[in-house]
Amino acid sequence: MGSELWFALLVTALGTFLMRALPLLWMRRHLIRKQASNTLDAMPSWLTVLGPLMIAAMFGVSLVPSSINTATCLSTAVGTLATYLVWWRTRSLGWPVFFGVAVYGGVLLLANAAGI
Amino acid sequence: MSSQIASTVDRPWLMGAREAIPLLGGYIPVAISFGVIAVQSGFTGWEAVLISTLVYAGASQFLFVAMVAAGAPLWFVVLMTLLINARHVVYGPNIAPWLTASRWWPWLMHGLTDQTFALSHVRLPQLAESQRKAWFIGLSVVAWFSWIGGTVVGAVAGQELTQRSPLLGEVMPFALPALFLVLLAPRFAARLWAVTLGVTIVIALLLAVFGFKNAAIPIAAVCGALVYYGISALATEKVQRAGEVRNGQ
Repeated sequence: MGSELWFALLVTALGTFLMRALPLLWMRRHLIRKQASNTLDAMPSWLTVLGPLMIAAMFGVSLVPSSINTATCLSTAVGTLATYLVWWRTRSLGWPVFFGVAVYGGVLLLANAAGI
Repeated sequence: MSSQIASTVDRPWLMGAREAIPLLGGYIPVAISFGVIAVQSGFTGWEAVLISTLVYAGASQFLFVAMVAAGAPLWFVVLMTLLINARHVVYGPNIAPWLTASRWWPWLMHGLTDQTFALSHVRLPQLAESQRKAWFIGLSVVAWFSWIGGTVVGAVAGQELTQRSPLLGEVMPFALPALFLVLLAPRFAARLWAVTLGVTIVIALLLAVFGFKNAAIPIAAVCGALVYYGISALATEKVQRAGEVRNGQ
């Protein structure tokens, strides 16, 4: 890499880091200024709403398989349902993910074998 | 997930590291792809690894190497890369109420990705204050190293690996939607949240299907917020009207 490209990489890395760290520092100061007994109340309400919505949006995007066809769509639907059912039963983090991936892989394998 | 797990955690860093494991299913295949593409675009293996270590943000790394390879002006490369990463701006403030006074936290934000944010947003409130930093370090170190490790594998032997076991590369990434679903699942109990999250998920999915993967996250989240506040306003108005009718009788 030439020196200009190195510079571009460092600016990108620094900019990304600052976008992660500076808003945190801003919110910390905001919370301290408020000096609220309950820190959640001191947060702007839109921010508490936006957090889960960002996760939901990431979920929606991650549901789209890299190659969209009947087999991957079917596997995604069944895998998602399996994940939810195992979560409903166990209320844990690891097992639903493990079973979800296993079911997704199993359905994908069967669908490919069946020529779907 | 248990709402109060604080008292049962002996080694929070180990718990964080363990809870990062589902992330690896999504990280490693993507990092391998990045290593392959970076080398194909003319970067050396070391340069690819350095990009993964310093920038550590999936989509923007792909854009960075693709734009550089295409000969785009470097200021434009930096601008577009930062624009894609702009969504990170809302992550830190969202977990700020649960962070301790340690001066390390701003530095640890290098490890705050989409996925580690999602996990932290749910898990940090459930942990005791003294355990949060160690938990986050365990989580982010495993996630970061898996991203770097995946890039190394991709840069060195990625093409051969993806050709030998294509199904594995297709199956493992499902760990990410499964993880996001588990993190969201408790919120579906409330009707307002169920509708809001449902709308957000569908909009994000449709945008991603039509090729707008990077714009999908902020746009869907903003649409979801509009739905949330719209339904809340309607519910408040309904309650007010019911009160007025009762007072008029």
